[in-house]
Amino acid sequence: MTIEQAALKLRSREVSAVELATESLRMIHEQQPRLNAFITITDEVALEQARRADDDFASGIDRGPLQGIPYALKDLFNTAGIRTTGGTKIFADHVPDTDSAVYEKLRAAGAVLMGKTGLHELAYGITSNNPHFGAVRNPHDPARIPGGSSGGSGAAVAAGMVYFAMGSDTGGSIRIPAAYCGCVGLKPTYGRVSRFGSMPLGGSLDHMGPMTRTSNDAALVMNTIAGYDSRDDSSSKEPNGEFVKAGFSLKGLRIGVPENFYIDRIVPEVAEAFADALRRAESAGARLTPIRVPDPEAINVAGRVILLAEVSALMQPYMHRRGDFGADVQALLDQGRLLAATDYVNAQRLRRKAQKEWAVLWRQVDVIFTPTAPIFAPLIGQTEVQWGETEKEDVRLATTRLVRAINVLGLPALSIPLQTKALPAGLQIIGQPFDEDLLLAIGSLLPQ
Amino acid sequence: MTDWKALAAVRCPDIPADAVARIVPSLAALESAFRPLAKQLKPEDESAVIFANVQERGE
Repeated sequence: MTIEQAALKLRSREVSAVELATESLRMIHEQQPRLNAFITITDEVALEQARRADDDFASGIDRGPLQGIPYALKDLFNTAGIRTTGGTKIFADHVPDTDSAVYEKLRAAGAVLMGKTGLHELAYGITSNNPHFGAVRNPHDPARIPGGSSGGSGAAVAAGMVYFAMGSDTGGSIRIPAAYCGCVGLKPTYGRVSRFGSMPLGGSLDHMGPMTRTSNDAALVMNTIAGYDSRDDSSSKEPNGEFVKAGFSLKGLRIGVPENFYIDRIVPEVAEAFADALRRAESAGARLTPIRVPDPEAINVAGRVILLAEVSALMQPYMHRRGDFGADVQALLDQGRLLAATDYVNAQRLRRKAQKEWAVLWRQVDVIFTPTAPIFAPLIGQTEVQWGETEKEDVRLATTRLVRAINVLGLPALSIPLQTKALPAGLQIIGQPFDEDLLLAIGSLLPQ
Repeated sequence: MTDWKALAAVRCPDIPADAVARIVPSLAALESAFRPLAKQLKPEDESAVIFANVQERGE
């Protein structure tokens, strides 16, 4: 059932919010031993919030389509009185006394919090194989990673534990688990959703966004969580509008199809499913336009320099507990500490240059289609991807290869499931700044 | 190219030598990809992060 469907049933009294929450908790507890999608399950909070939603319905108070809907937050959104770990031993006992902006808005909308989902430590990685809270597992094959860093959110949505979950995306961390778990994930434009009260990773790269079963559901969540927040210096004053775009058709839509970079080193099954998605869009009236995108590999390199430096600067006060970080995060923190300040500044200069070069593309096309990840979900513990006879690629670099540049550029990007036979894969739809409504409308018209 | 081991010994002596040895290949690869890009920058290329002199207002 989608949010839209559940919202209708709640209003026709076919089901109550307490019944939805009880069923959601049952699913979570049943699947938690297999998937480890949650760090904290908030049974009491969930039932209390569900009772309040039912009371509001009974009193004729309707706070919108999320009222009474069970959801989860990645465990880096502050929740007053509920521990928020960031997936790290350093903050394992951290209980914030204020809420994140996202939680404030979702509570005000009457949504019902089921718990805090597992993630890669500090959201600094793509496996969600967490040394402190255990590995999150992929619902389609528990021997595989769900992707990350929002792996618990992706697993929880894909396994039907919740109707939606919130994630964060600094180098692909919403879109990757959406692709590997087979759900929808939206990384909004930088500044569109307030970062206030969410644990930062790379401040100039962090984006908060929804993970859902359908694009329409993601639009409903965006209607609630987007908007200017004076407490977040990066928050945009761009008007929101309505994220559900009515009466939209693909007819005449100009879809950019990269001829470079995004077609290299893709596993054949993903490439076939991607080609099939293009054919479907074209047969629905869209115009496919071959384009050459300005060097995403250079943007990825600049993005890695920016991220390494920003995270290490942020975590500097905790370096006296260096040994408390997992080995992979520790290695990244160490790398960031050794970079020169001039490299960080030059990476930010390359970023601005790339932003200008990409802006030109939007004269030719409305959106760009690419695969989200070039591979299917790797096995837990897998460190390399083999290409052909001799070439090997680090799993982290392969997984982030097609998504990281979009964080550097701050553009909105949606991942929706591709039609595959075995494991899930994702179609990434990249748009101009603040075009989330267009991406979600396109997503709602393509099979999911 | 940077002597990462020597740099780490001076700047971050708390990082054990074996940990430095493990990250040197990643840093060297990143440096070799990044340096040619940085060389292309022109003086007029501004940073994406620009200081804005915003008046803070009490709320």
